[in-house]
Amino acid sequence: MTLSKLVFKNITRRRGRFVFTLLGITIGIASFVTFLSMGGSLKSEINRESASLGANLIVTPIGSCAYEQVSILTGEILPSNITMIDVTKIQAIKGVSAVPVLTEKTAIANKPLSVNGIDVEKMKSFKGWEIGKGAYFSGTDEAAAVVGFAAAELFKLDAGSTIVVRGEQLQVKGVLKETGGRDDLTVFLPLPLAQKLYKTGDKVSYMAVKVDNLAQTDSYIQQIREATNLGVISDKQMLKSVLSIVGTVNITLQMIAAVSVLAAAFGIINTMMTATYERKREIGILQALGAKQRTIFTIFLLESGFYGIIGGATGVVLGLFVSITAAPYITQNAFTSFVKGSGNGALIDPKTVIGSILFSTAVAIVAGVYPAWRAARLSPVEAISYE
Amino acid sequence: MNNAIITTKDLCKSYSSGAVATHALRGVSLEIEKGSFTCIVGPSGHGKSTLMHLIGGLDRPTEGSVHLEGTDLSRLDNSQLAQLRGEKIGFVFQFFNLLQGLTAKENVEVAMMLSGFPEKEQEKGALKLLAKVGLTEKADAKPSQLSGGQQQRVAIARALANDPAILLMDEPTGNLDSAAEAEVLEILHELHAAGKTVVIVTHNNEIAQKAQRVICVRDGRISCQ
Repeated sequence: MTLSKLVFKNITRRRGRFVFTLLGITIGIASFVTFLSMGGSLKSEINRESASLGANLIVTPIGSCAYEQVSILTGEILPSNITMIDVTKIQAIKGVSAVPVLTEKTAIANKPLSVNGIDVEKMKSFKGWEIGKGAYFSGTDEAAAVVGFAAAELFKLDAGSTIVVRGEQLQVKGVLKETGGRDDLTVFLPLPLAQKLYKTGDKVSYMAVKVDNLAQTDSYIQQIREATNLGVISDKQMLKSVLSIVGTVNITLQMIAAVSVLAAAFGIINTMMTATYERKREIGILQALGAKQRTIFTIFLLESGFYGIIGGATGVVLGLFVSITAAPYITQNAFTSFVKGSGNGALIDPKTVIGSILFSTAVAIVAGVYPAWRAARLSPVEAISYE
Repeated sequence: MNNAIITTKDLCKSYSSGAVATHALRGVSLEIEKGSFTCIVGPSGHGKSTLMHLIGGLDRPTEGSVHLEGTDLSRLDNSQLAQLRGEKIGFVFQFFNLLQGLTAKENVEVAMMLSGFPEKEQEKGALKLLAKVGLTEKADAKPSQLSGGQQQRVAIARALANDPAILLMDEPTGNLDSAAEAEVLEILHELHAAGKTVVIVTHNNEIAQKAQRVICVRDGRISCQ
């Protein structure tokens, strides 16, 4: 017999209470882990989208804030406020290649899908796209569509299929090879056609800009600002501000989860207090057999520590299960519809697993201090005479 | 008497509950010889159990002193007192007081653990002690599967876990039928024959008659010895 074995036998003797107390800490830790790993996967998703954007600078209407910047990464509709005159001015600046994009939405089979109006030739070389099936646009005024890899798979489209955008029947000319980013879930139209269908005149939503010399990025930003009355942001800045929003949301969610862990801690205190009353006589026996106050304290502290370790482990398992099965549905409308076969990679982070179990154990041990102190303080005669 | 294992001097114990003070012991001086079989008898509520608690270091006297093998118990702090209980004293109580969730063997093992035996030696030692009280076959039974007499025998095995200098028993047969009582008494006499010091607090005249020495406690004082 060792102290740990004695404690384990004590805990498992009262199965009902054991299970319910454990459920409290399990649920607390599970929600904590769920929020943590969902936040983590959201961040890695945003990083990925940003990388697949392929631009160093983004030009948006002046006064655009983080919301618009997030939209560029997630394919939401942006106000189209940049005129073709501005587009030409920016494209005239030496040392940059700039492509205009009009972001809109359509629906196929009642599911939303992003539509991008693009400068077909410039965009292809800008992004380095390759054609998987069929063919790419042959000219700017073609009335056809090219679709991303995942969109084609999702809606069973192939070269030669027909889609309807704003009541207009369009032929799918080709399907892009997989890019691993936002483009996979997008329908591309030549810019003039998109502007006509969505009645945006000669305006576009944003411009993606690549610079030849990264060291002079600041000077390019200055030149664009002087040539047009538009806002310019570097991809790094954009990423930073988007991630800071996500970070704030994450911290808020994690704090909510921490409160539920705290509530579970009071559950442990309650269980342990009840145990000190119920087992008064048992404490007395142990004291008569030679247990010191320190030993009694250790027994009770170990007992609540066990709740923390076991609850932490089951909570992590439950939390990871929830985030793997439910997270794609939860985050779909918020920021990104998860591209098939990607986006789940960052979920099981060993730091999250170990950190959560340590956190739960620490909380449980702190919760156990007061009951353990109460138990250790009992006088042997008082405890043994208790009926 | 130079052979005394226990010496008490002017032992007083009073409890105060609110304004009323209860005097459980009012000056008890006695000596208990090593290897003796002693009964402490007397009516309920006259201080027998209190005396046993003080001798066993479960409680502290209000006045007076207890010496166990020359050690003044009042000079020990709580932790040293617990260690002394673990090393030198074996308790047996009226209501057996086994740990309910554990088997007979595990109950003895817990006592061995608390008196410092390493885990490897515990099982062998526990089985040996259970054999001594005739319960080898019940080693894996929980207290709820044992009769009163069997539970008390487990309690005796547990009290022997530390090979104590003295066995202190509070009404060990108070909850047993006569057959079980006879079994328990036989074990106690065997232990005495093997050299253990046994002190029994009891109402039971039959036990008292077989004791080497009887100490009567009445109104917190020794009335005969």
